[in-house]
Amino acid sequence: MEATIEVNGLRKAYGSTVALDGMTFTVTPGRVTAFVGPNGAGKSTTMRVVLGLDRVDAGTALVGGRPYRSLRTPLKHVGALLDASALHPARSGRDHLLWQAHSQGLRGQRVDEVLTLTGLADVGRRRAGGYSLGMRQRLGVAGALLGDPPVLMLDEPFNGLDPEGIRWMRGFLRALAAEGRAVLVSSHLMSELQDTAGHLVVVGRGKVVADTSVADLIAAASSDRVTLRTAARTEAMTALARVGATVAVTERDTLTVDGLSADRVVTVLSEAGVPFSEIAAHRATLEEAYMELTRDAVEFRATEVSR
Amino acid sequence: MIGLVRAELTKFRSVRGWLVGCGIAAVLMVLLAVVAAAGTDARVGGPRARGALPHSSDGTPVFDGFTFVQRPLDGDGTLTVRVASLSGVALRPPTPGDTAPEAPSGSEEEATTEPWAKAGLIIKAGTTPGSPYTAVMVTGSHGVRMQHDFVHDVAGPVDARWLRLVRTGGTVTAYASTDGAAWTRVGSAPLATGAVSAGIFVATPPHQEYEQFLGGTSVVGGGAIATGTFDNLSAAGTGPGGDWTMVSVGADDSPNRPESTSTREGDTFVLRGAGDIAPIDGGAGPKQEQLLSGGFLALTVLAVLGVLFVTTEYRRGLVRTTFAATPSRVRVLAAKAVVLGAVTFAVGLVAATAALLVGTAIRGANHYPADALTQVRIVVGTAALIAVATVLALAIGTILRRGAGAVAAVVVLITLPYILSAAAVLPAATADWVLRITPAAAFAVQQTVPEWPQVDQAYTPAFGFFPLPAWGGFAVLCCWTAVALVVAAALLRRRDA
Amino acid sequence: MSTALYAEWTKLRTVAGPFWLVALAAVLTTALSAVTARAVSCAAAGCGVDAPLIALTGVQLGQAVVAVLAVMVVGDEYRTGMIRTTLAATPSRAVLLGAKSVVVAGATLAAAVPGVLGAWLAARLIMPGRGFTAEHGYAPLSLTDGGTLRAFAGSALYLTLVALLSLGIAAAVRDAPTGVGVVLGLLYLAPILAAVVSDPDWERRLHQIMPSDAGAAIQHTIDLPSLPIGPWPGLGVLALWSAGALVLGGLLLRLRDA
Repeated sequence: MEATIEVNGLRKAYGSTVALDGMTFTVTPGRVTAFVGPNGAGKSTTMRVVLGLDRVDAGTALVGGRPYRSLRTPLKHVGALLDASALHPARSGRDHLLWQAHSQGLRGQRVDEVLTLTGLADVGRRRAGGYSLGMRQRLGVAGALLGDPPVLMLDEPFNGLDPEGIRWMRGFLRALAAEGRAVLVSSHLMSELQDTAGHLVVVGRGKVVADTSVADLIAAASSDRVTLRTAARTEAMTALARVGATVAVTERDTLTVDGLSADRVVTVLSEAGVPFSEIAAHRATLEEAYMELTRDAVEFRATEVSR
Repeated sequence: MIGLVRAELTKFRSVRGWLVGCGIAAVLMVLLAVVAAAGTDARVGGPRARGALPHSSDGTPVFDGFTFVQRPLDGDGTLTVRVASLSGVALRPPTPGDTAPEAPSGSEEEATTEPWAKAGLIIKAGTTPGSPYTAVMVTGSHGVRMQHDFVHDVAGPVDARWLRLVRTGGTVTAYASTDGAAWTRVGSAPLATGAVSAGIFVATPPHQEYEQFLGGTSVVGGGAIATGTFDNLSAAGTGPGGDWTMVSVGADDSPNRPESTSTREGDTFVLRGAGDIAPIDGGAGPKQEQLLSGGFLALTVLAVLGVLFVTTEYRRGLVRTTFAATPSRVRVLAAKAVVLGAVTFAVGLVAATAALLVGTAIRGANHYPADALTQVRIVVGTAALIAVATVLALAIGTILRRGAGAVAAVVVLITLPYILSAAAVLPAATADWVLRITPAAAFAVQQTVPEWPQVDQAYTPAFGFFPLPAWGGFAVLCCWTAVALVVAAALLRRRDA
Repeated sequence: MSTALYAEWTKLRTVAGPFWLVALAAVLTTALSAVTARAVSCAAAGCGVDAPLIALTGVQLGQAVVAVLAVMVVGDEYRTGMIRTTLAATPSRAVLLGAKSVVVAGATLAAAVPGVLGAWLAARLIMPGRGFTAEHGYAPLSLTDGGTLRAFAGSALYLTLVALLSLGIAAAVRDAPTGVGVVLGLLYLAPILAAVVSDPDWERRLHQIMPSDAGAAIQHTIDLPSLPIGPWPGLGVLALWSAGALVLGGLLLRLRDA
């Protein structure tokens, strides 16, 4: 089976509130696709639609080319983590996985495998009600892995994880993608996905704002800006201004140069014989790039909330 | 505390589903009143059946049929008589296919005297059924009684055989004696001045045996006939030389009633006849409280709300926010109880009033009469019952912390005992006992038909009679609720949130 | 279907709640039956008491516990949000509800059979001492007697159908306390309505259509022609209610967002 999630033109409204407004994207195997957007942008709704939990007014969502409700053993096609706290508090973590395994015709042995894989082997027989949020997230991931599916879909898996847990989750997601799986991870905190996601689907107000590789996005967001440290401030400004750059003084011996690449700045300064002690090309963080993209799409502005 | 109550009130009214629940409870209550009113069968005590009955001066429907040997009495006077013997025996019940009983004589069955067979003196404002009277009589097994205006009953000496009625102005006084010499005053009652009828009478209510079996109660029985032998009759003040004439009062009340007869041999009078002079019990006929039977459904809906009011806090972890805002958990419980009790009382009051009005509009006055005070009592009582039961649900919800179990517990505690008792699954004695100790006792607030000590009737839950008085039954529910609240408060303090 | 069934069975047996409810239902059914058998007496021949009916009074209490059990099977999943995990694992709503029905029916029978047998045993021990003797026309209750067997076995079926009714209603209302309220309101309403409505035609119709009344016809062994509805048709009416509730619940499960 093809390891993909294809979401095409999803529309859904709750009364007059539009939740999904033509959501369209594809998740391909072999990389982690970050599914990001502000709260209420439609991430969770899209995931529920993919899992056949919510109905849509229009559009299709296919897993490996088939609608979810037509799958006989769906957990072998796609593993999902929606809400890690959605479990019966009196049931042990192992039993929580066991019934899911049984629903797919899997054996208890597989449950022990995924418990070990997610580092829960020791606590598996304890009441799930007593688990910390981090343990529940791991249990949720274990459930998603039960059927060894080619497609994984995780909703906010970093929620409630401690720094060690975040690091573990990042490595885990990368490893799963490296095995050739299609991994869709939603988050509203871009920084969590730094160094993890290879592809990015940014959503806002129920539709896709950007569908791009992380490298391209960062390159686009990192405009030509160079930071220059020099003792000969005035000479440097004169030389750079002559070739058309915009120069601003940020500190006593530091200048910010816009409109020229770092190589070009070095060449210009060398030709003019201006000494400099340090030169650095500015590189946007994923966070900055994301903020840039979603500036118009953010639904709940801070000012509105704080009122 | 006021702030706390306001906080809980805000919590309650900000969940739309709970407001909808209150509305559903009220609608169901009115709906049941409509069903109860529309489902009333005119053939079983409909207006034609009920309307034919005489009423006493205070509006109580009464039986007023007896064999009366009388003279007119215009002013003051004194009647004295000795009741030589009284027998009241059951007639053989009609066999199927046999519409009327055989002639009274010869078909008498057993010699056990009907307990409320009556023979004695009566002064009555005319022979029209329902007219006021005062009487003193010997009864089958309840000794000498003085009764007046149907609903009043005063016990006299047990073994007296001599009876006397003295009319002075607007008052009639009754005396009894064992030997005709030493007289004991039994009581006195007002009676309008003017021309009245005075004389001796016999009557006996029909023979009845109650048998209760699953799903119903059957009344086994049939006609009975009383025979009274009187002598030493004297009547000072009655019409001069006027002869004693027999009147069968209310004779056409029931077609199966044995014929009244009277014979006189010298000073000895022998009167035979059936009938009774007594209020009618509400028995099987329509009653006003039936219009409020939707209280069960309203209560079930509101019990769900009461349980949810606390269990949803646990479900969502909201309880931690609540207890962080108000560390005194008992006060939180108290505030919840106050809010829930007040809101559901208001809902119950509106619903019960509407149910009574709508039901009465459909059914008319086709039911056992209830005066205004009684109507207020059943409406307010029903609202109070619903409110306290909802608070009980809140307490049980707090104790169990599991909504489903708590709802089941409340419904089973309140409804099931009532069903088992009223649907006559349990024998009357057990049913009485159940309705004394379970919260279902509170449904006594809805009883409109009084129990008459001078009328032999099956005063059992199956006929809508509760063993406890209205507020006594309500107190039982309050006790249950208080205990549940105390347990809930203790557990709240002890347990982790 | 078999995998979904296996999963539902695993769910049921891995928490303690259902086990205790099964035990409670059995115990309460027997207990109320025993108490009622102790309260009722037969003074003379022809006292007209339907002995098996008395002996099965506890079913009226047992059904409340059974309703809780069945409602919780769905209600707990909605309470915790686990329903989404369940539907992700078993996307076919019909298969899921079918699997739950089988498991709930099984659990109910596990409560009903011992409960009803306990009631039978209690009646057999108690009722002869209460005047239900051969002289009064009562042979000891025997399960080989056709009518008695129908009453007792039918009561187990009655409880099972009540459980399925509850399951369907729970799937429709998606909340356990509300579900229990609706089910018990429906079950206990009938006798109250019947007490209020005095028109014999109405009363008869009520007995014929209300789930608990019609279903309880299966417990009658004497005077069957005078019943508003026969034992098996009565149970059939209850079965229709259960089927209707399950269809409604399944349909809503299919149409609504989880």
